[in-house]
Amino acid sequence: MNVLVIEDEKGLADELEIFLAKHNYLCDVCFDGASASEKIAVNLYDFILIDLGLPDYDGLDLLKEAKKHNPEAICVILTARAEVYDRIKGLDLGADDYLAKPFSLLELHSRMQAITRRKFGLKQNLAELGGFIINLTDRTISYKGNEVSSITKKEFDLVAYLLLHKNRTLTRSQLSEHIWGSLINDDYDSNYIDAHIKNIRKKLNAFAPPDWLETVRGLGYKIKTGN
Amino acid sequence: MKLRTKLTLFNTLSKLVIVIIFVLLLPLLIRTLNKIYTDNRLRKDEEKVLQTVRSHGIQSYIQNGESYGSYTPIKDVYVSLDEDTLDEHIDTIKNEPRKVEGDTILYRILSHNFMVAKKNYLLEVGISLDSVNETSRPLQSIAFMILVAMVVLTVLADQIYSTYVLQPLGQIIKTKLIGQKFPNFGSYKKIKTSTSDFEYLDISIHRMIKTIESTFQKEREFISNASHELMTPISILQSKIENMFEQEDVPDEAKTRLLEMQRILNRLKSITKTLLLISQIENEQFLKEDSVSLHELLAEIYDEISIRLQDKNISYSVDVPENLVLVNVNKFLMFNLFFNLINNAAKYNRENGSINIAAALEDNVWVVKVTDTGIGISTEDMPLIFNRFKKLRASLKQDSFGLGLPIVQSIAIFHQIKIDVRSEQGKGTVFKLTLPDFLMKI
Repeated sequence: MNVLVIEDEKGLADELEIFLAKHNYLCDVCFDGASASEKIAVNLYDFILIDLGLPDYDGLDLLKEAKKHNPEAICVILTARAEVYDRIKGLDLGADDYLAKPFSLLELHSRMQAITRRKFGLKQNLAELGGFIINLTDRTISYKGNEVSSITKKEFDLVAYLLLHKNRTLTRSQLSEHIWGSLINDDYDSNYIDAHIKNIRKKLNAFAPPDWLETVRGLGYKIKTGN
Repeated sequence: MKLRTKLTLFNTLSKLVIVIIFVLLLPLLIRTLNKIYTDNRLRKDEEKVLQTVRSHGIQSYIQNGESYGSYTPIKDVYVSLDEDTLDEHIDTIKNEPRKVEGDTILYRILSHNFMVAKKNYLLEVGISLDSVNETSRPLQSIAFMILVAMVVLTVLADQIYSTYVLQPLGQIIKTKLIGQKFPNFGSYKKIKTSTSDFEYLDISIHRMIKTIESTFQKEREFISNASHELMTPISILQSKIENMFEQEDVPDEAKTRLLEMQRILNRLKSITKTLLLISQIENEQFLKEDSVSLHELLAEIYDEISIRLQDKNISYSVDVPENLVLVNVNKFLMFNLFFNLINNAAKYNRENGSINIAAALEDNVWVVKVTDTGIGISTEDMPLIFNRFKKLRASLKQDSFGLGLPIVQSIAIFHQIKIDVRSEQGKGTVFKLTLPDFLMKI
């Protein structure tokens, strides 16, 4: 998939490129609005990530251009200006999602995937892990046809996030940012992730031992799959 | 006491004192005046008689050595002329009784002796004191009435003038000081006054408020700009750490350090986000257009927080009418307000403690109470709990940076919710939120 990254902070643009390349996206990077405007007019992209705070261009104008020349592209706005006003305006102009800086690269990937699923109507989004069927569309986990009904919303979010980044160790910070990130909270303690994982294991264990949900000592958790 | 009241009181009292002094002095005054007047009259009468004697001779009064006497029919004035045997010269005015046709009447009498044709004569002119006093009494009461009228008039005039002249002061107090929240970013109208003192006061207040406003504004802008500017570098650092973490050639030992960095970065991020949020609330960048059921809101918060409650086995109960709806609020902010209160209630609670959230009408006003069985807040810490970055002794053990309650306070002020805190150390704390009418709907 082709991604255009429009970000004037070179340090961030580079990291975005490294990350996206690793996840098999083809990346074009622009550091200013003028060159981005050219690229948008010439190439076709699946994703356009726009930083609103460009020195030479109003990011929202760029969004309009993107919608005109690349109507199929998924536009995600990245900004340090987390104002409500921008948020509404951006989504009004046809942005598909909005990420306030600082954001996690994993979160960006997860949003991009979610929008793709939504946009292309992938009906059956199923994953199989050690006999458990995880349905990302219905947000359910079942074992041999029996639903693990006691799984809470937060617990499912954790499993889904780990699954999306399978075979990769996610730290407690990353996990807690995902499930509590939107909360403005005085403390940023990620200890409660352990409690959540403990609960998930207990609930799944009633059906079969969830060996695929691994604790990586000293680092965090990961979901391990064969393929 | 108000300045105007004081002035009126002083005015009235001082005038009352003048009236009393005057009333006390009045009889004496009138008497003296009367005396002078009567004596003058006596002198004039005397002069008339002497004039007659000089021009027409003593015979016009005394013939054949008989004494002359004359008085008005009601005996209030009399004149007598008689031969006198005394040698010494008399010229006095005295009060003396005289017997006239059987009546003893007190007269003011002028006695004067003079010599005509080698004979001494004594002239007496008298005015009855009754008739003198008769005029003095009405005079007294007229004087008194005029005085009272004048006093009333001046008091009224003073009152009206002081009201008029103090009006600008009242306006300054009413429109610029009473019930004004500082800093107030409203526009300021100059008070119309011709009194230079008030003008100076008005301008000074104006200037002071301007200074306070601009200081506040600068502080807010600074916090807002600083936190915005921090977002991008934090974002870059975070991405770099995340990418490094994924690199296969990074040894586990280095990964542990990266993890540590990530944790610290998260803390920085959290502080920055919180400061930004507070500055956004204070700059009123949120809309208050949402309606949300308090019951549902609390249920959502429970979903977020249940894992923390489980950790300490804290029981959570909600006594809120299900049909109670918060209107004209910002849902995101209200969620944060209650989340932070309940999170604190959990954080500072004891094992097997409890948290209760209850909404009820108190004196026709909706009140929501968040009650916990936690460690409580000491009296000396109480005034500090809403201060930013103020770490209280009780919270030192906790992983906190003292921004939870400042958020709560900013959100409450933004929604005009009043917060009262009652706490007993070792027993627990009650946060009482008083919600204005326009936020509640049943």
